[in-house]
Amino acid sequence: MKLDGAFIVEAFVRLLGAIPTTLLITFVSVACGFVIGTAAALLRIYRVPVLHRLASAYVTFIRGTPMLTHLFLIYFGLPYVVDGLAELLGLGFRSASIPMIGFAYLSFSITAGAYLSEVVRSGMLAVSRGQLEAAYSLGMTTPQALRRIVFPQALAASLPNLSNSVIGMLHGSTLAFTVSVVDINAKAQIVASTNWKFFESYLAAALIYWGLTIAIERMCGRIERRIGAYNRGGVA
Amino acid sequence: MIELKEVRKSFGKQEVLKGISLKVEKGEVVAVVGPSGSGKTTLLRCINFLEKPTSGEVIVGDLAVAAGRAHRKEVLALRRKTSMVFQQYNLFRHKTALENVMEGLTVVRKLPKAEARERSVRLLEKVGLGAKLDAYPSRLSGGQQQRIGIARALAMEPEAILLDEPTSALDPELVGEVLAVIRNIAKEGITMIIVTHEMSFAQEVASRVVFMDQGTIVEEGPPGELFARPKEERTRLFLSRFAPEGSYSI
Repeated sequence: MKLDGAFIVEAFVRLLGAIPTTLLITFVSVACGFVIGTAAALLRIYRVPVLHRLASAYVTFIRGTPMLTHLFLIYFGLPYVVDGLAELLGLGFRSASIPMIGFAYLSFSITAGAYLSEVVRSGMLAVSRGQLEAAYSLGMTTPQALRRIVFPQALAASLPNLSNSVIGMLHGSTLAFTVSVVDINAKAQIVASTNWKFFESYLAAALIYWGLTIAIERMCGRIERRIGAYNRGGVA
Repeated sequence: MIELKEVRKSFGKQEVLKGISLKVEKGEVVAVVGPSGSGKTTLLRCINFLEKPTSGEVIVGDLAVAAGRAHRKEVLALRRKTSMVFQQYNLFRHKTALENVMEGLTVVRKLPKAEARERSVRLLEKVGLGAKLDAYPSRLSGGQQQRIGIARALAMEPEAILLDEPTSALDPELVGEVLAVIRNIAKEGITMIIVTHEMSFAQEVASRVVFMDQGTIVEEGPPGELFARPKEERTRLFLSRFAPEGSYSI
């Protein structure tokens, strides 16, 4: 077998078109996951009655099951729920009109939310109690203290973990091909299906993923330096 | 001005404050001294409800808050009447010196930015840090950080300032600069309650000294009297560890 260099280049170029889909899945799931995760983290930190148990159950169940399983549960389970509700309420909407990528968005957001809740929680726990007390001593309300004092520092403390999660979701987004979403990985399969040069095609995909990962690392590094400028402590 | 009525505080089964009653008049500088674990810091933190008293009543100015049924809004109003200087400074780490002082003014007092800035700059100059406005706390010495902490507390124009062992975390050579700042504001007639281990400073600055031991106030009085002629055996014992008897000059 001989490596077809020209086809790697050709595949690479054709795969570029799938980058937006992959990035969209990644960023939608990280963004929604961040909101879900922050809510779950707050519920657990403040031990909100009943809800903090639900949040804990959510985190352990999602982290205890594979991301692909979440996708299948949503893909096969959601239509029942949607169609059942639509019928009950007499709406014309049917699950068949949900775009495939919608399942990926929802499922991966739920996945990311569980992992990000731990990222957010560890970030908030990294902020010393004294910061909150100082805010309270000035007469700030809890939401003011969280927004102005705790969250900015928690975000700075959790950035390394956060960039890890973004990269994890980028790579995890390949699973979307199982529900017929054409991301970079799926596109690689399609590109190779005419001449069976799968290795070349997937090699091109690997290069693109690597490039995207490096870009994310750089971006996070830059943000880290910027919002962590106040921090000249630590052991490193 | 500030009054505590039968304030009690327990952590689990351990009662740290055993019914403290204390009255502080406007303009007074009260030093609270005593062995560690005597409840001094807890007492101070009960005044702004950073520790919620188990029972009793806290009165600051015209606002009386009872421990049992303290509403969130009452606690907030109470906290806005005082400000606190912490042993570990607790400056906001992600904000510069200037932003630290401005924060309470813009967020809590809702002052326009320009006005908050002007007042903050003036206060930082007053504590000798006019050249460090844009420095982050991590770049400053403990003494500088604590002086910013004092400026932050002053900025709120509180009815009283609560200082919790303001020099205990400092290197010995930095204690002086912080005490000098406190000495200056004491002269301005601002009401202060200082928990401290600096006996000679307490003697110099305080208009009244309160000696606490094991969750109770053992005795109180003007510094000259309390340090020179303590009435209680426990006070005598405590003071003897700081200096040989009779060496305090008045």
